[in-house]
Amino acid sequence: MIIYLVKRLGLALAVVLAVILVLFSLLHLIPGDPATIALGPRATPEAVARYAAKMHLDEPVWMQFLIYVKNAAMGDLGVDVFSDRSVTTIIGERIGFTLALVSTGLGWAILLGIPIGCLAAVKPNTAMDRIVGILSVGTIAVPSFVVSIWSLLIFAVVLRWLPAIGAGEPGDLGDQISHLVLPAFAVGLSWVGYVSRMVRASMLEVMGENYIRSAHAFGLEPRRVVYGYALRVAVLPTITLIGMGFGGLISSAVFAEIIFARPGIGKLIFDAVMARNFPIVQGAVLVATSLYISIVLFSDLLIAWFDPRVRESL
Amino acid sequence: MKSLTTSRRAFLASTAAIGAYSLLPGLPKFAYADGNVLKLRLDSDNEILDPGYMTGATEIEAQKQCLPFLAEYARNGETFGWQPTYFVKKLEQRDPTHIDFELEEGLVWSNGYGPVKASDVKFSYERMKESDWSGYFTALDHVEVTGDRTGTIVLNTAFAPFIMITLCHGPGAIVCAQAVKDVGGKFTNKFPAVCGPYTYEQTPGQRATFKANPEWNGPKPAFERVEANVITEVKAAELAFEAGELDCTKIGSDTLARYQKEMPAGSEITVGGELQYMWMGMNTEHPKLKDQKVRRAIQHAIDVDSILAGAYSGTTRKSHGIVCPGLIGQRDATKYYSYDPAKARALLEEAGVSGLQLTLRTLNQQERVLAAQIIQANLAAIGITVKVMPLDSGPFWEMGQESKGDTWQDLELWLMRFGTTPDPYEASQWFVSSQVGIWNWERWTSEEYDALYQQGIVETDDAKRREIYLKMQDIMEETGAYVWINHEPETFVHRSSINVNSSPSGELNYRRFTRT
Repeated sequence: MIIYLVKRLGLALAVVLAVILVLFSLLHLIPGDPATIALGPRATPEAVARYAAKMHLDEPVWMQFLIYVKNAAMGDLGVDVFSDRSVTTIIGERIGFTLALVSTGLGWAILLGIPIGCLAAVKPNTAMDRIVGILSVGTIAVPSFVVSIWSLLIFAVVLRWLPAIGAGEPGDLGDQISHLVLPAFAVGLSWVGYVSRMVRASMLEVMGENYIRSAHAFGLEPRRVVYGYALRVAVLPTITLIGMGFGGLISSAVFAEIIFARPGIGKLIFDAVMARNFPIVQGAVLVATSLYISIVLFSDLLIAWFDPRVRESL
Repeated sequence: MKSLTTSRRAFLASTAAIGAYSLLPGLPKFAYADGNVLKLRLDSDNEILDPGYMTGATEIEAQKQCLPFLAEYARNGETFGWQPTYFVKKLEQRDPTHIDFELEEGLVWSNGYGPVKASDVKFSYERMKESDWSGYFTALDHVEVTGDRTGTIVLNTAFAPFIMITLCHGPGAIVCAQAVKDVGGKFTNKFPAVCGPYTYEQTPGQRATFKANPEWNGPKPAFERVEANVITEVKAAELAFEAGELDCTKIGSDTLARYQKEMPAGSEITVGGELQYMWMGMNTEHPKLKDQKVRRAIQHAIDVDSILAGAYSGTTRKSHGIVCPGLIGQRDATKYYSYDPAKARALLEEAGVSGLQLTLRTLNQQERVLAAQIIQANLAAIGITVKVMPLDSGPFWEMGQESKGDTWQDLELWLMRFGTTPDPYEASQWFVSSQVGIWNWERWTSEEYDALYQQGIVETDDAKRREIYLKMQDIMEETGAYVWINHEPETFVHRSSINVNSSPSGELNYRRFTRT
């Protein structure tokens, strides 16, 4: 397990470094002078020169890269072009909102997806199985931004049941929860389908295993066999899916955050791209990627903990 | 284990129940903003509130609520002018280079910084000469303090638009000298001291909150509290307005067209100003466009009305020059061309040009690309093949600048839009000879234009200024390098229960909102 852990950590670190390199290359591949692009067409030459010096743009590219990696390792992701505030601080202010949105979105998807996946697996080829199948594929097929727009139109604009914008009053949990309902519904809906299909497929495989048949033969209560024995094994591939889903939801969250005007990492990246605020773009993408890698790594370690065969595979 | 069953009857019963439930009254509703709270939109976070280093736009809105200004914009029917603010007892231009002011009594800075003094005005304006907004203070020599609350702004040269474009606009904000010194000479997203009807708080990424300032003894604003929510996307803001969560927001041209057909209940439209001018430019030095007859043919070939209808849903005003509606020197018609494809073909024939192929560059934005496609069709009708090249803002804004590479040599046609302040001087400055290769991408020069530009700066008589700027636009149009397109408006939708106050360039002034 230790060897596996070290190998996976090394791989994760390599991916993070590759991401930094790609981000850096992209910055220098964008046509135009980064300082002028960031400060706008009417910026004075003095302001452009000051910015270039502050961002080390007057250094060779390889030196800029090394400076950035060294600072990032120390937790310093640079400063915002416009406000001179620390990028780390700005990301710190927003990341909680994205984590809340993604956790809630994935949370309700799991809570609903696992039972209906089980239900479909327990009653294969019945009307219920087909309905679950159609609904699952349907929810997978609808992009989250479409769900966002329609849910906003229906529940906020037409019915006025739920708020349309923002994250709620700081310190007012009820208000914050009400502001979370629609975005979480929008980002989580497709994952109900993913989770239920995965659980159904795993459950069908496990339900055919000898030990499950034996458990039935011993006269154990069917509910206990399904949820106590089969689901515990069948849920393992779903953990990997959920880990990847978390990363996927970080990118889906961009649309929800923009449409519902919620603060968060996705919206921060979007706004920074629009404003050509490169330090924010680099820092936020790096943090989002690191978060994704960490979650995938955690889910892999969890699987490896449960299943020794996985530990041997790397 | 009891199995779940589904039946047609059960399905119909459940869907009917869900349908009925959705129609039930009494479910939580999110009401319109209550009487004391005004809910608005900011299109981005306020990054730097310091007038010397701000990025502009929404920061100016915050400054207008929390800092003193000597002058403010005043609308007089269709035109814009200025008036002294309630921070001053007197603001008078004694002669072309001296502006006397006297501050109102009883103005107090927050955080215990005491009364607002003439020395604060001196500090605020003189520091601007070294700031990122120094361009607005080129004409300022110094501020003379003659008393605690009196002083004179001394200009180094006569500069007619100083009050309009400097004192009324964001750079004209007055800060508390001692408070700014105490925070190290610069500040970012927190005012070190305020003097105005509102105090300021910011929740980054979410909103800016303006609360009634308890130390303010000037005119009370109509709203106790203003919540300006950060909503980057205009479409999200429009939906938030329709959901009743905003009282006022800026809207895009497509939504304006929709609202003109069917306005949301209890809502109205207010146009703040139209200080943007868009045109199609032509490179007069390019071999394909060197002949003025070719340029004039292109001018005659383009149907601007169809661009306004097709790309802007008929929501923008047709342009006839660089001076925007409401300003001195606005033209009411073009002088040297009109839409006339037959004349365009004749001019091309006269020039001996056929099979002309040109590239039209534009920013990659919906309306502009649509406009470019209409131009492409117009020019195809007279035998000119146009390739439309949408560009990202980085390469677009550099393409005509000699310091940024060689693209300026290949420039043929482009769609351009500039924003301006409420004085014709600002718009005219980009087309003088010294701007060739910088912002004058059409690359023509005219000694007469340059001379008129200098005259326009120092002339204080409105009638004479009007003639100067009309003549300057005639010169520009005569080059054949311009097809004037439109002036996009700053349009706001708002509840009928409030009156909106906006500067000509579209910054909202919350403290001058009123209830109907």
